Amino acid sequence: MSSPVSVSVSALARSTATRAALGPLAALVLVLVMHSGAIPPYQAYSVGIAAVYTVLALSVGLLAGWGGIWSIAHPALFALGAYFAAYGSTHGWSVEAVVLGAVGCAAALGAFLGGAGARFSMLYVALLTLAFTMVSLEVMGQWTSVTGGDQGIPMEKLDSALGLGTLASAGTQAQYIAVGAAGIALAAAALARPSALRMRLVAAKSHPAAARSVGIAPEAQSALAFAVSAAFAALAGVLLALVVGFVSPDPFSLTLAISLIAACVLGGAGTLVGAVVGGAYLTWAPTAAESAGVPQPILQGVVLIGALLVLPGGVVPFLGRVLRRRSTAQDSAAAEPAEEVPEKVPEPAATAAEVLRLDEVGVTFGGLKALEGASMSVRAGETVAIIGPNGAGKTTLLNVLSGLVGGGRAAGSAVYGGRSLLKIRATARHRLGIGRTFQHAETFAELTVLENVLCTRRRNTARHRARAVELLEGVGLAHVADQLPDELSFGLHKRLDLARALAGEPELLVLDEPFGGLDARERTLLAHQIVRQQKRGTAVVIIDHVLDDLFAVAHRVVAFDFGRPIGEGEPGRILDDPRVRSSYLGEGGTRGELPHRDGTEHVAVRLEEVDHHYGGVTALRGIDLTVPQGSVLGIVGANGAGKSTLGRILHGSLSPTRGRRTAAAELRTALVPEGRALFKTLSLRENLEVAAYATGIKGAELRARLEQTAQWLPPRLRERMGVAAGGLSGGEQQILAVARALMAGPDLLIVDEPALGLSPAMVDEVYGRLGGLARDGMTVVLLEQSLARAAAAGHEVVVLHEGGVAVRGEASDPLFLARAEHAYFDGQDDASVAPAPM
Amino acid sequence: MGALCEETVDVDQLLLVLVSGLASGAVYGLMGLGLVIIYRATDVVNFALASLSVVGLYAALTLYDSGLPLLPAALAAIAVTVGVGLTVRETVIRPLAHGELLSALVMTMGISLIAESVISTVWDDQPRLFPSLVEGSVSLGGAAIPTQSLLTIAVAAVAMALVAYLFGRTTIGSAMRAVAESAHTAQILGIGSQRIARIAWALGLGLAALAAFLYAPRAGLVPTVLSAPLFRAFAGIFLGGLTSMYGAVIGGLTVGVLDNLAASYVSGGYRDTFVFSFTILVLLIRPQGLFGVRTFQRV
Repeated sequence: MSSPVSVSVSALARSTATRAALGPLAALVLVLVMHSGAIPPYQAYSVGIAAVYTVLALSVGLLAGWGGIWSIAHPALFALGAYFAAYGSTHGWSVEAVVLGAVGCAAALGAFLGGAGARFSMLYVALLTLAFTMVSLEVMGQWTSVTGGDQGIPMEKLDSALGLGTLASAGTQAQYIAVGAAGIALAAAALARPSALRMRLVAAKSHPAAARSVGIAPEAQSALAFAVSAAFAALAGVLLALVVGFVSPDPFSLTLAISLIAACVLGGAGTLVGAVVGGAYLTWAPTAAESAGVPQPILQGVVLIGALLVLPGGVVPFLGRVLRRRSTAQDSAAAEPAEEVPEKVPEPAATAAEVLRLDEVGVTFGGLKALEGASMSVRAGETVAIIGPNGAGKTTLLNVLSGLVGGGRAAGSAVYGGRSLLKIRATARHRLGIGRTFQHAETFAELTVLENVLCTRRRNTARHRARAVELLEGVGLAHVADQLPDELSFGLHKRLDLARALAGEPELLVLDEPFGGLDARERTLLAHQIVRQQKRGTAVVIIDHVLDDLFAVAHRVVAFDFGRPIGEGEPGRILDDPRVRSSYLGEGGTRGELPHRDGTEHVAVRLEEVDHHYGGVTALRGIDLTVPQGSVLGIVGANGAGKSTLGRILHGSLSPTRGRRTAAAELRTALVPEGRALFKTLSLRENLEVAAYATGIKGAELRARLEQTAQWLPPRLRERMGVAAGGLSGGEQQILAVARALMAGPDLLIVDEPALGLSPAMVDEVYGRLGGLARDGMTVVLLEQSLARAAAAGHEVVVLHEGGVAVRGEASDPLFLARAEHAYFDGQDDASVAPAPM
Repeated sequence: MGALCEETVDVDQLLLVLVSGLASGAVYGLMGLGLVIIYRATDVVNFALASLSVVGLYAALTLYDSGLPLLPAALAAIAVTVGVGLTVRETVIRPLAHGELLSALVMTMGISLIAESVISTVWDDQPRLFPSLVEGSVSLGGAAIPTQSLLTIAVAAVAMALVAYLFGRTTIGSAMRAVAESAHTAQILGIGSQRIARIAWALGLGLAALAAFLYAPRAGLVPTVLSAPLFRAFAGIFLGGLTSMYGAVIGGLTVGVLDNLAASYVSGGYRDTFVFSFTILVLLIRPQGLFGVRTFQRV
C-alpha cells in the first residue's frame, strides 16, 4: 500500500520516536551545560525548580487538554510527594520505597477523584478537587508530628535499596536528577500522544455519548487519566523536596492551583512544549515581575486575562497554527471514490439468521411514554427502515438499540445475538457488534479523521492503522485523514461518522437520519455504502425523513406514530396504508370559517430568492413567497423540509444567507416556536409578563394587555394564572404559548407545529382558537407537518420539499390538494406534466 | 447540682455556637446567593466576587476614616463593588464567547489576583479593624450573644426577603428567571440578555459586598479576608444545588452551622475538612444537590 495516508502514518511513527527523544536529549544537554559551570549556582537552582514545575505543569496541562479535567487538587498531590519524600528521608526509607509509595498513593487518590468527578460536570470536579486541596492544607498544618506544621521538615539524603547509590538533597546532583526526570516525563508524554489511550481520553471528553457508542467508558478513562496525572504530580513533589532540601506548606497553597491553571492556559493545555513554557513561567514569573516593577499577582493576572482574550488556546498552539497554515497551504487533491452506477439492493439470504428481535419494548421518561409496544425483527443482510412523523419515537428506538436512553426506563425484551440487549451497558455493545451513527454526525472534534476511527480500538497497532486507512479509503476520506473534523464539509463529516461506526465491523448497524442534509451525490454515495454492508451480511436499521432514498435501500419499512408501531410493509407499498399515510398528512377535520379574501390584500411579508445555510447544510433554497394580510397561510412539509427556518425568516429574527425579506411598514410579528418553548418554572402570568417585558411594554399598558390576553384564554387557564406553566397539559401549554405571542400585539402570527404531541381533541381546540384570531383580522402563518390540517385551517397551502417550494395553491381546491399530497412525498408537482385547471 | 450547672453551661454554649453558626451561614448564604444569581443569568462562576467586595470595603473604610458615617460608608462599599465589577465584566468577561464556562472562571480568577494585589498596593496588607454598626452583646439565657451576630442574621434575612420579592413578584425578576431557565427561548422572545446580565452582576456583587460588610467587623480586614467565606459559599451552593437560590441560602446556613459546630466540638484546625467532607459525601449520594434539578444528557 502506498497511499498518501500510509506514507504519513510511517512518517508519524518516525516523528514520534524523534519527538520522544527530544526531551531526554534536551535534558542531557542542559545537565552538561550546568555541569560545565556556565550557569551560576543560583540560576542552576532555578533551573532545577523549573524542571520540577515542568513535570507538574505537564501533569495538570495534559489532564486538562486531553481529558478535559481542570484540577485544583494538584497542589495537594504535589505536597503529598514532597512530604512523603521528606518524612521517608528522616525515617530511613529507600529511594525506591519513597518514589513508589508517593506515586502509588497519589495514583490511588487520583483514580478516586477522576472516577467520582467523571459522573458530573466540570464545576463539580472543580469543587471536588478544591475540597481535596483545602482538606490537605488543613492536614498539613495540623498533623505536626509528620509535617512539622508551619515550620516544615527537612529533606535528608535517600539511599537506594538496590544499591544504586545515594541521592543527596539540595545540591547539584538533585538539580540534575530533576532536569533528567523532566526530560523523561516529556518523553513519556510524547510517546503517549499518538497512543490509543490519549485518543480514547480525548474522545470521551469531546462527546461522551458518541464515545460510549464506540465502546469507550468516560468514567474509566477519566479515572485512569487522573491517576496517571496524580502520579506525575507526586513525582514532581519528590523532586521538589530533593531540589529544595526542605518541605513546608508555603508552596502548596490554593494560589499555586490558580498559578498552575494560569501556566497551562498560557502555554496551551494539552501540548508538551506548552508545559515547558508553563514550568518556566511558574519559576521565573516572580523575578520577571520584580524586574518589571509590578507585584507578581498583577503580572500573573494580566498575563492570564491577556492570554484568554488574545490567544484562547495558549501560546504554543497559536504558534503551531501559524506554522501549520504556512506548510499546509496547498490542499491535497480530493480523491473521491469513483462514481458508480446505482447498484441493486441485494436480498438477504432466505436462510439468514435473525440478528435482532424486539418484543413489546417500551421506554418511559418520568411519566412520559416515549415508546411503547415496539416489536420488530431484523435478519442478517436485511435493512429495515423506521419512518414516522416528528415525535413518533423513532430516535428513542435507536437509543434503545445503542443503549443511550439516558434517564429513560426501558422495558420489554430485546434479544440480540441470543443475549438480552437491555441488560448490556452502552459501552459493551460496540464489542458485541453494534455500531451507530448520529443525526448530526457527532464526531470527536479534537481528533483527526484517522484518529476518530482509530480510537475505537483499545490498542493502536500497525494492523489496526492499516485497517483504519482502508476504511477511510472505502468511504472516500483518505485524502483528509490528517485533518480535523471541523475542516470538513457536512457531507464528509457524515461519512466520518459512518466510518467510525463501521470500524468495529458491526453485525448490526444503526443509522440515525443518515441522508438528512446531504446533497444528491452524497446520498448516492451513502446508498452505495449501505448496499456494501448488505452484501457483507450486516443487519441495518435506519430512520430518516428523506423517504425516497430510504425506500431505495430498505427491504422492509416499519411505521411509527405516537410512540408505537402502526404499520409494516415493503418500501413501495407502505404509503398505501391509510394509517401510515395519515400519520404524515393528518386527519383533516372540518373546514372552519375564514374571512373572505378578494385578492386585493396588501402584502404583509415578501421573501425574494431566499436561501439559507447552516454551516455547510442547505436548509432553504430559492424561496419566493408572499404572505397577504388577513390570510391564513399553511406551510407544509415533512420534518427537515425547512419549515422552522422559513418561519424564523418570515418572523424577522433570522437573516437569510441570501435573498431579501420585505415587510409592510410597522408590521409587528410574533413567533410561537416549535415545542412551545414556554418557561416551565414560571407561572402563566409571568410567562405573559415576560413576553411583554421583551417588547418594552411596562406599567399600566402591561397590565391592560395582560388583562386583554387573559380574556382570550379559555376559563380553565384564566383561573390558574399563578400556576407554573410546566404543570399544564400539552394543549394548554400550546394555547398559552399562542397567548404569550399575542402579548406583543402582533399583526402577523407565525405558529410552528401547533399540533405537535397533542391529542386530536386538543388539536381541534388549538386550531379553533387560531381560526378565531384569523376571523378577528390577524394574519397567520401555520408551519405544519400535516397537509390535511393545514388545508382545513388555511386560505392557501405551500408545500416545502427539501428546502424549496414544491407547490402552492388554494386550500379549498381538491385538485390542488391531490397535487400537494404528491409533492409532499417526492417534491414533484404533477401540474408540470398535466396542467391542473385553474 | 454541679452536673445540672454544667448542663446549662453546655446548652448556653450550644446556643452561642448555633447563633454564631447562623451568622456565619448568613454571610455564606448571601455570597452564595450572589454567585448563583450571576451564574444563572450569565453562566459565569464569579471567583472574583470576594476580592471585588473587599475593594469596596477598603474604599468604605477610607471614607469612614475621613469622617463619613458608617451607614453611608456601607452604601459606598456596595456602590464601589458594583461599579468596579460591572466595569470588569464589560471589559474582559463580555468579549468571551458565550458558554465558555472555564475561560470565564479562569478569567475571574485572574481578576481576583489583580484585585487583591491592587488592595495590598493601594492600602497595605496589614490587618485592620473594621467598625461595626453595633457593639456589645445580648444575654439570652446564660449565653452572651454578640449583637453583631444578631444584626448579621437580621440584615441578611431582610436582604434575602427583598431578593425573593424581586424574583417572585416583579416583571424584571420573572425575566431573570426566564433567562436562567432558557437563554435560548428568552432570545427568541427578544429579552435583552445583556441588560439582564448587567442587572444580575450588579445584584450579585451588591449582595456579596453586603456580606463582606457584615463579616469584616468580626474577622478584621486584610486583602484576603473573604477567601475562606468564598470557598464555604461555594460548598454551600453545591450543597444547595448550584442553580437554586433557596439552595444557596440553605446550603450556606448549613455550612455555617456545621463549620462552627466543628470548630467548637471537634477541632478548630479541621473545620474545612469537616465542612468539605460533609459536602462531598452529600454530593456523592445526591449529585444534583439538595435543591438542584437533575439534568439528563441528550444525544
